[in-house]
Amino acid sequence: MRQLTALLFFLASLWIPGFSHGAAYYEGKTLTIVVGYKPGGGYDRYARLFQKFLPRYIPGNPTVVIQNMPGANSIIAANHIYSVAKPDGLTIGTFNNGLVIAQLTKVEGVRFDLTKMAWIGSTASDAAILAVRADVPHKTVDDLRKAKEPIVIGATGPGSSTYDFPALLKEFAGLNFKLVPGYSSSSDVMLAIERKEADGRGGSYASILPFIERGLVRPMIRTRVVVPEIEKLPVDEDLAASAKGKAIMAVRSTPEIIYRPYAAPPGTPAETMKILRDAFAKASRDKDLLAEAKKTKLPIDFVAAEDAVKVVQEVLRQPPEMAQEITKYIKFGD
Amino acid sequence: MLDAFILGLATIFQWQTFLIMLLGIFLGFWVGLLPGLGGSTTLALMLPFIYKMSPVEAFAFLLGMHSVVATTGDITSVLFGVPGEGTTAATILDGHAMAKKGEAGRALGAALMSSLVGALIGAFALALSIPVVRPLVLTFGAPELFMLAVVGIAFISSLSGQGGRALLRGILGGLLGLLIAMVGQDPQAGVQRFTFGQLYLWGGLDLVPVLVGLFAIPEIIDLAIRGTAIAGDLPKENLSSGVWEGIKDTFRHFWLTVRCSLIGTFIGIMPGLGGGVAQWISYGHAVQSARGDEERRGFGRGDVRGVLGPGAANNSKEGGALIPTIAFGVPGSSAMAILLGAFFLQGIMPGPDMLDKYLVVTFSMVWTMVVANIITVAVSLIFLNQLAKLTLVRGSILIPFILFLAFIGAYTSNNHLGDLLVLLVFGLLGYAMICCGWPRAPLVLGFVLGKIAENNFYISTIRYGSSWLLRPVVLILIILTVVVLLYPFIRFERKGASEGDATA
Amino acid sequence: MKTALNLRFLLAFAAALAAFYALYASLHWPFRAALFPRVIGIPLLLLALAEMLLSVLREEKEREGHAVDFELTTDVDPVVARKRTLAILGWIVGFLLLIVLTGFPIAVPLFVFLYLRIAGREGWVLTILITGVSWLFMDGLFNRLLHLPFPQGWLFALWS
Repeated sequence: MRQLTALLFFLASLWIPGFSHGAAYYEGKTLTIVVGYKPGGGYDRYARLFQKFLPRYIPGNPTVVIQNMPGANSIIAANHIYSVAKPDGLTIGTFNNGLVIAQLTKVEGVRFDLTKMAWIGSTASDAAILAVRADVPHKTVDDLRKAKEPIVIGATGPGSSTYDFPALLKEFAGLNFKLVPGYSSSSDVMLAIERKEADGRGGSYASILPFIERGLVRPMIRTRVVVPEIEKLPVDEDLAASAKGKAIMAVRSTPEIIYRPYAAPPGTPAETMKILRDAFAKASRDKDLLAEAKKTKLPIDFVAAEDAVKVVQEVLRQPPEMAQEITKYIKFGD
Repeated sequence: MLDAFILGLATIFQWQTFLIMLLGIFLGFWVGLLPGLGGSTTLALMLPFIYKMSPVEAFAFLLGMHSVVATTGDITSVLFGVPGEGTTAATILDGHAMAKKGEAGRALGAALMSSLVGALIGAFALALSIPVVRPLVLTFGAPELFMLAVVGIAFISSLSGQGGRALLRGILGGLLGLLIAMVGQDPQAGVQRFTFGQLYLWGGLDLVPVLVGLFAIPEIIDLAIRGTAIAGDLPKENLSSGVWEGIKDTFRHFWLTVRCSLIGTFIGIMPGLGGGVAQWISYGHAVQSARGDEERRGFGRGDVRGVLGPGAANNSKEGGALIPTIAFGVPGSSAMAILLGAFFLQGIMPGPDMLDKYLVVTFSMVWTMVVANIITVAVSLIFLNQLAKLTLVRGSILIPFILFLAFIGAYTSNNHLGDLLVLLVFGLLGYAMICCGWPRAPLVLGFVLGKIAENNFYISTIRYGSSWLLRPVVLILIILTVVVLLYPFIRFERKGASEGDATA
Repeated sequence: MKTALNLRFLLAFAAALAAFYALYASLHWPFRAALFPRVIGIPLLLLALAEMLLSVLREEKEREGHAVDFELTTDVDPVVARKRTLAILGWIVGFLLLIVLTGFPIAVPLFVFLYLRIAGREGWVLTILITGVSWLFMDGLFNRLLHLPFPQGWLFALWS
């Protein structure tokens, strides 16, 4: 027992903020990043990466801490940032980029308006891609259309890019897919591909990249979001036959431009927001951060606040009939 | 192959690596002991410290920490009836019952020794199966995983107790557990099932608050009713002599420990079965192994075999759980996902190479788990007798402390007040079940297997139609299910023939 | 025995209700979402009804229906046991309310303090000592080291 208390004292002392020596707002304060997922996932890993480097670029060098607030695919965290957290610049959050679509399709439980959030930006863009196992004989999109046997696409479930992206391709681009949802995670789908239970999957490029490098799968189709190294792949919207299909695909993929969004509560003072925006922008150019990001396979591609807001507005601009139509094809979920 | 096995051991005995591992073990010790200090949260917290380490050091640190968690989690389960980790709850049933009989020392000795044996056997089983492990994992597709879940669910029948009425209640509990597993967004149609408009329930119920509620709350109530210490007013001498007794128990029931270790390793290797499954199936197997009704009646009331089974499986599964992560890049738990991040960080690509080119690294990981367990058990043995004395502390002092641990342990699974409500609801359910003679183990079994069964059923039927029923492994598992199901009945029949007249 | 019998009936009744609700809710779902809840719900409903019936009709024999689980102590006088059960349930629910009202960091030491003083009737020294340790755990470990997001108590939320 005594050892434990000694350890606690020791460890607690590490976290107690140091003496103040200046007049900066963040001097001696703690900046909390609320992450809408449990530790270990992509959103958490990005947040922890920035946690390490942000203090360098915020005057007053505050302590940065991560709080995991999982649940409802980060709607809980976004609600918290929107209406519970104080707009004092000491609490910011990161949540699913697909929340824009949740707001558009009026998902039950959404109590935020993303256009009113104080945006910081996004630390990375990512594009959904469709990848098939390397030994699948179909080489072109046309082969996928004309395939005699349907191509089995493993997926987690409606609402995720593993499901919605191939489902739209099947519906509007006429690809001969058979969708098999029910895998417990996107990496489980990868295993299913390896054991030939599935032939391919949709999903974010960054998460599939290690398996492309290993030679297990090859990328076939991308979305409108431009990501280095896969620029030449055919784009889903060009494959869709109807205008409606193109429009729905565009709405689905636009939020991917701000794949790892960061925002503060509405009403956070402008000068504080400037500090935060600058800090994120500078940190994402930091050499050490970039080196570490490269090692941990977390691509960095900062999108500034103004551009992030534009993305949000573009998605939410849909007329009500269109929003209604979208609900039929895209669900918000895990 | 063999030289990699030995080289792997040699690498972790470089002094710097070894010291770093000791630090990991020290941290993991407390993480396991304290509910609420989750393994994955702590791993994530420790990530920044491993940036400067070499791969072998980093994994010695992370795995040293990770593999001790399951061992010391058993200590909390035995002493207080609160699962130290979500994966150590099965030890409560008999372990805590033993503590209440004044045999805390023996239960702890058994839990730790079986953990050690489990870790060792897990490591060796893994080493032996490295050449076949990739084909083995690839053989188990969705149909096989579905059937494995069915085999697990069939264990409900032997976890129910004897007699038709007990079986009825066991099945009721199991069905209730399966139903509870359906809460949350369904992956087929995207429908929110039984969520009552609550965002908190979208992802389904978490294992930890459910387990803490089911197990800790009834024990707290019982402790309050008795108004004594956990070990009651029993003579104190049983307590200290027990540790050796528990160690001997492990070898008295050595084959049971071995079998449960193998079950744990196997379930660990299977991706997607999750941490909670191994210990409950082993518990079911331990109950099955009892000869005669009189012996089975002891389970749930402090039979040491009920500690040995889950204790062994819990640690042997950790070695197996490495396989999907390192050989396929597919992490089986959030702790493993964090470990995967550490792989990338160290410039190691998980994949088939890990079982071939980098076999030494793989084996050094397995060895880290073994050595970490040996150290923990050795150190714990010194403290165990002292720890066992906690069961003599007045209940009125322990109760607020245990309640605090239970509440914080539940809360940290989602950091949401809903966790506390789940804790309370399942606490009351657990209490009611105890009062009415409904066994809790089948409910947990149903809960941990429900989603696995449903998801893999749909994947199987959509992918293969009905032809999956004829796959060879599926057929074998169907036969196994029937055997598991009929086992209690065969026993019942035999008993009926011999004693039937006497009781009628 | 009467109360135990009632409780048995009530638990089975609750299980039957849960099954009924599950079946009812599944009526609105597409086939694939509804199949498993139905496959589970139907036998659950039937067996729960059977258990209800049995708990009314048949007096339970001592050893029958023995579960693989522990049994609550029977050494204590039933009247005292009942009083203690209600008291501890009150404390458990009270703890939850305290957490909701004042937030974790205050509720935990406060609860430990109140329980030790009122229910445990412990001396001041011991009470303050253990309260201090619990505060240290709460604030030092979970609040400062792990930075768990503890929601503000409703009491304070009202004021601010």
